Amino acid sequence: MINSLWLIPALPLAGATINAIFSRKLPRWLVSVIACGAVGASFVVSLLAFFAMQSTDEHHRVFNVSLFTWIPVADFKVDVAFLLDPLSALMLLVVTGVGFLIHVYSIGYMDAERDDGYGHFFTYLNLFIFSMLMLVLGSNYLLMYVGWELVGLCSYLLISFWFHKPEAASAGKKAFITTRVGDFGFGLGVLLIFTTFGTLDFADIFAHAKLIDQSLITIITLLLFAGAVGKSAQIPLYVWLPDAMEGPTPVSALIHAATMVTAGVYMVARSHALFELSPFSSEVVAWTGALTAIYTATIALVQMDLKRVLAYSTISQLGYMFVAVGIGAYGAGIFHLMTHAFFKALLFLGAGSVMHAMNGIIDMRQLGGLRAKMPRTYITFLAAALAIAGFPFFAGFFSKDEILASAFATGHTAIWVIGLITAGLTAFYIFRAFFLTFHTEPRWTTDDRRPLTEDDSHRSSVNGHRSVHPHESPAVMTIPLAILAVLSVIGGFAGMPKVMGANFLEHYFEPVFKPHDLHLAASTEWMLIGASVAAGLLGIALAYWFYIARPTIPVTLARRFSGIYNLLWHKYWIDEIYSWLFVDKGYRLAMFLWQVLDVKIIDGAANGLGRATAALSRVTRSWQSGYARAYALMMLIATVIVLGWLILR
Amino acid sequence: MSLSVPDLNFRVIAPALIVALTALIVLLAELVTPAPRKRWLGVLGLIGLLIAAGATVGLWGAPASAFGGMVVADNFGLFLTLVILLGAALSILLALDFVRAHRVDQGEYYVLVLFAVVGMILMATATDLIVIFLALELLSLPLYILAAFKRADARSLEAGLKYFLLGAFSSAFFLYGIAFIFGGTGTTNLMKIADALAKNPRNDLLLVGAGLLLVGFAFKVALVPFHWWTPDVYDGAPTAVTAFMSVGVKAAAFGAFFRAFLVALPAFAFDWRIVLAALAVLTMTLGNVAALLQSNVKRMLAYSSIAHAGYILIALVAMGASGLSSALFYLLAYTLTNLGAFGAVIALSDGERERLEIRDWGGAARQYPFIAAMFAIFMLSLAGFPPLAGFTGKFLIFSAAVETGWAWLAVIGVLNSLVSAYFYLRPIVQMYMSEPVPGWDRIRVAPLVALALVLALIGVIALGLYPTPAIVMATGGFLR
Amino acid sequence: MESIPFYFLAALAVLAALGVVVMRDPVYSALALAVVLTALAGLYVLLSAPFLAAAQVMIYAGAILILFVFVIMLLSPGREGDAPRGALKWQRPLAVIFGGALVAQLALVLLMTILPTGRGLYTPEYLAQIGSTQAVGAALFTDYLLPFEITSLLLLVAMVGVIVLAKKKS
Repeated sequence: MINSLWLIPALPLAGATINAIFSRKLPRWLVSVIACGAVGASFVVSLLAFFAMQSTDEHHRVFNVSLFTWIPVADFKVDVAFLLDPLSALMLLVVTGVGFLIHVYSIGYMDAERDDGYGHFFTYLNLFIFSMLMLVLGSNYLLMYVGWELVGLCSYLLISFWFHKPEAASAGKKAFITTRVGDFGFGLGVLLIFTTFGTLDFADIFAHAKLIDQSLITIITLLLFAGAVGKSAQIPLYVWLPDAMEGPTPVSALIHAATMVTAGVYMVARSHALFELSPFSSEVVAWTGALTAIYTATIALVQMDLKRVLAYSTISQLGYMFVAVGIGAYGAGIFHLMTHAFFKALLFLGAGSVMHAMNGIIDMRQLGGLRAKMPRTYITFLAAALAIAGFPFFAGFFSKDEILASAFATGHTAIWVIGLITAGLTAFYIFRAFFLTFHTEPRWTTDDRRPLTEDDSHRSSVNGHRSVHPHESPAVMTIPLAILAVLSVIGGFAGMPKVMGANFLEHYFEPVFKPHDLHLAASTEWMLIGASVAAGLLGIALAYWFYIARPTIPVTLARRFSGIYNLLWHKYWIDEIYSWLFVDKGYRLAMFLWQVLDVKIIDGAANGLGRATAALSRVTRSWQSGYARAYALMMLIATVIVLGWLILR
Repeated sequence: MSLSVPDLNFRVIAPALIVALTALIVLLAELVTPAPRKRWLGVLGLIGLLIAAGATVGLWGAPASAFGGMVVADNFGLFLTLVILLGAALSILLALDFVRAHRVDQGEYYVLVLFAVVGMILMATATDLIVIFLALELLSLPLYILAAFKRADARSLEAGLKYFLLGAFSSAFFLYGIAFIFGGTGTTNLMKIADALAKNPRNDLLLVGAGLLLVGFAFKVALVPFHWWTPDVYDGAPTAVTAFMSVGVKAAAFGAFFRAFLVALPAFAFDWRIVLAALAVLTMTLGNVAALLQSNVKRMLAYSSIAHAGYILIALVAMGASGLSSALFYLLAYTLTNLGAFGAVIALSDGERERLEIRDWGGAARQYPFIAAMFAIFMLSLAGFPPLAGFTGKFLIFSAAVETGWAWLAVIGVLNSLVSAYFYLRPIVQMYMSEPVPGWDRIRVAPLVALALVLALIGVIALGLYPTPAIVMATGGFLR
Repeated sequence: MESIPFYFLAALAVLAALGVVVMRDPVYSALALAVVLTALAGLYVLLSAPFLAAAQVMIYAGAILILFVFVIMLLSPGREGDAPRGALKWQRPLAVIFGGALVAQLALVLLMTILPTGRGLYTPEYLAQIGSTQAVGAALFTDYLLPFEITSLLLLVAMVGVIVLAKKKS
């Protein structure tokens, strides 16, 4: 089975190729069957490979399957070779499994798309999965780089899928350019690895890493981490991710959960042999993660766009993962990556289901009370919200707890405190979003009188109808939600803390990561669990207090029909009160951070760079005067300079 | 007096000889070919190129020199010969319908292309500065004429004249360089120059000669700041001609450039490497930055070809076996990819009207799904996306640079190729994501153009997925 | 002492070449070119290459230049106009400065270098023995056979090109 590893990426690639060529000629159902079938089959193969791996001797669970020599260079060669070990096997299952569910969901979600758009969409989706699988399976840095680049390209295509929408076009550009900054670091890191080790193969590099000067390892790991910062949207390169939700929602789910953003975490975990040798780099990783986690969690508190809340939440959760891999708890990081894939995919797909029902409305000021209209979406969203909030025994509880316990145990008390606060914030913002969307009074109308903005009219045209008649999504969308909900509930039992039972996952990862024994007394461990549970519950309770228990909005039928703006105003006012009552300073800080730091400084820098490039380009164009004699003169000047240098050297 | 006849080993120049013969046959056949059948002259030319390619393969593996050491058939030269023949054959395929659509359907078109190919092959295999110079002229003169071939179009005439004037200007520098080198060593043979240098390493005349040669080569391969003609000429010349000269000239001129500097002047490497490294940085950076703001596809591709010359120059700075083989591989990859890109421009044109503005490419993916997909792949290959030919080429060049201690140059190269992705993606986005532009309806794509594109596509993908055979072929090196 | 004629002819060639470029009237330019070519022929004589000198006078100063003058007379293009102002206002001063710089650089290198003094194959004695014409012929058809043949192709291309660009559209 393990020799058929190549099938795992090959199947989605085949699906993408078939759909790229024939999708216009094929009926829609066949297009979607091909696309979903390819990823589903890939998942089955991954599963078989996983079991084949597990059935072998525990100490030899690392398989290197070389297909052929890809690029021979002077005295070394780069193989197209796949690496199967517990780390990549788990990633394969997450990518193909969650990816498959998102594919199925897209059948329903993209239903209103034009035929050729439908075909393109599934082509890109398959290509995206293929790229991510290459990244995960590659057994050397060059192959990983291949996947890395392709993932970036696909994300660009998918984020700007609705290209005629200017925000989508610019979001795609922003994602592409921002991650390229990180890619540059990654590319340099790979070059430096090549010069240092003379090879790009993981096994060879990690085997010889101990012989290399530590400062060099530090530089290499920092460069690699720069790539991770770009791909996984950490400070300061996170800006692209919130905008990336301009793409179709399944794409957001794919980017945020199964592919793309997890690439950075995976890469750091894969390079753990290098990061372990550089305490400095590891500290940088952990602190970047911790600061990103709390910073973006505060931003998520004040967002009104449901998908934007989720986007900042992803960045924040990725911060947890980097904390984990930074403090050496690689298994915990990947564990959180997995549980996060379940509940974040679910949250996004749930949000997509809401959008689908609401004609594309995603502003929470225009949602509310959807619980009755969309019971399945409601209950699955709740499962995901509980999971991300760290509610006991839900998936996120175990993985977040393991990260926080590891931080505490390794003496990173400050990071532990930050993580704990973030856990409270997370619970608050996710339940705020949950309550505003599904509980509270509806702030939408079922008639056509709501003034349509240009944006809305576009969205309506995408979805084909105008008035808002919330309805449950079709089964093709809700079944993936249900499956993900089950995973969000039970997914965490794979890695229970020692005091509650066996940590299967830690044992599972033993062939890759050395066991990470926490050396904590049982009482301390219970105390830590209690603290994070308390933080989560506090957050949920506060959200409940502000949005449900104090119904500051008297709701009457008459007022409901008096127009949505009135309700909008009151909703906004409640936000003001809550911020004044509770986190006045925090709110202002959050707004300040979001508006000044994010919008002004970072966007400004990106724009400034663009302007500088454009100016430079204009200058070169003005030299391109078209006069042959002017060209001759410039050549003469250049000749004089070249000769002058050669003579004077 | 007694004449000592040199080694007249015509086998060594067989590829050039066959192409020259084909050109003469086509020239004569043109007289008796009626107007509607002119395209058969192109087919005749294709057959000649094919035979020449067969002869080249036949010479493979047994390096030999002839005519008193003026030309060689070593693996370096033969590899480039194949690249040139391939580029010429694909350009003729692209031109067969193009010349008719543009009402310049004359047999002389193919004659001139074939003569230029003779010059290119000789330039890539020459080991004597006199032959290099004459080959340079033999490849340039037909291109000056071809650039102006569409006489009804003022821009085509302007392109031809501009190319001619500046080309003559640069040739003067080149010739002066040869004179200086001859003055310093008493010979024009590359190996003998190296010997003379070994005896007398501080030779200022030679250094200036090398500088002037460099100017001549830099003009031909379009290095910044000797590149000014490129956007204007590429833009103005008929697209099929631009396609041909963007690949053939680069292969031939870089061949002679590498040979002259690596065989004759390695003793000065310390000096010229720094100059060339500076030129490489300038060329890559300005090429890519200028390409960023182009709204015209042909001008964008012109600046892109400038930037690619910069990447190849890195391989020359790196020297050594890996530098040499990476440059050869890159030229092959670049030839296929660039011809594909220009081919797509030709495929999407409507008679004499061409989609030159990027905004005209809107919705092309819906009208021409296959051509658009192929064009997208060519663009991605130029941008160096894996796993396509352009990526392998860049990887080989950058690792050659790293291997020889020019890591900083590789870093600038990587940075540049990251920047370049942006403008290569623009036409793709335009094709796939926006609506068709009014006035551009779907018309039938000429089958031969499609054939050329498919052939280029196969090459681009094969060189990306399984480049080993090509890399092994490219590691032959020079005959010294 | 024997170098005085050389310097005289060389200076004449350079000055006349400048005249070719500077003169506004194309007929004057053509006549200045005739001076350049003749001066070069004189240099060939000094270098013991009388055959080359004769060929130079007959072919260049004779046939080609006459052709030039004929074409000029036929087209009667008149005086060359002024260069467009504005965009190229720096053109002239910069051209003079950098042209001068290039000449200075080359002159500097030539003055710094001691030219190799060894004598080549074609010494005056050798030429006197076998004859200058024979020497040229032998060189062309033995050592320089390949360049000679390439040149023939070059001339053919030039002819084809002229016909392509100049013939009337059918």
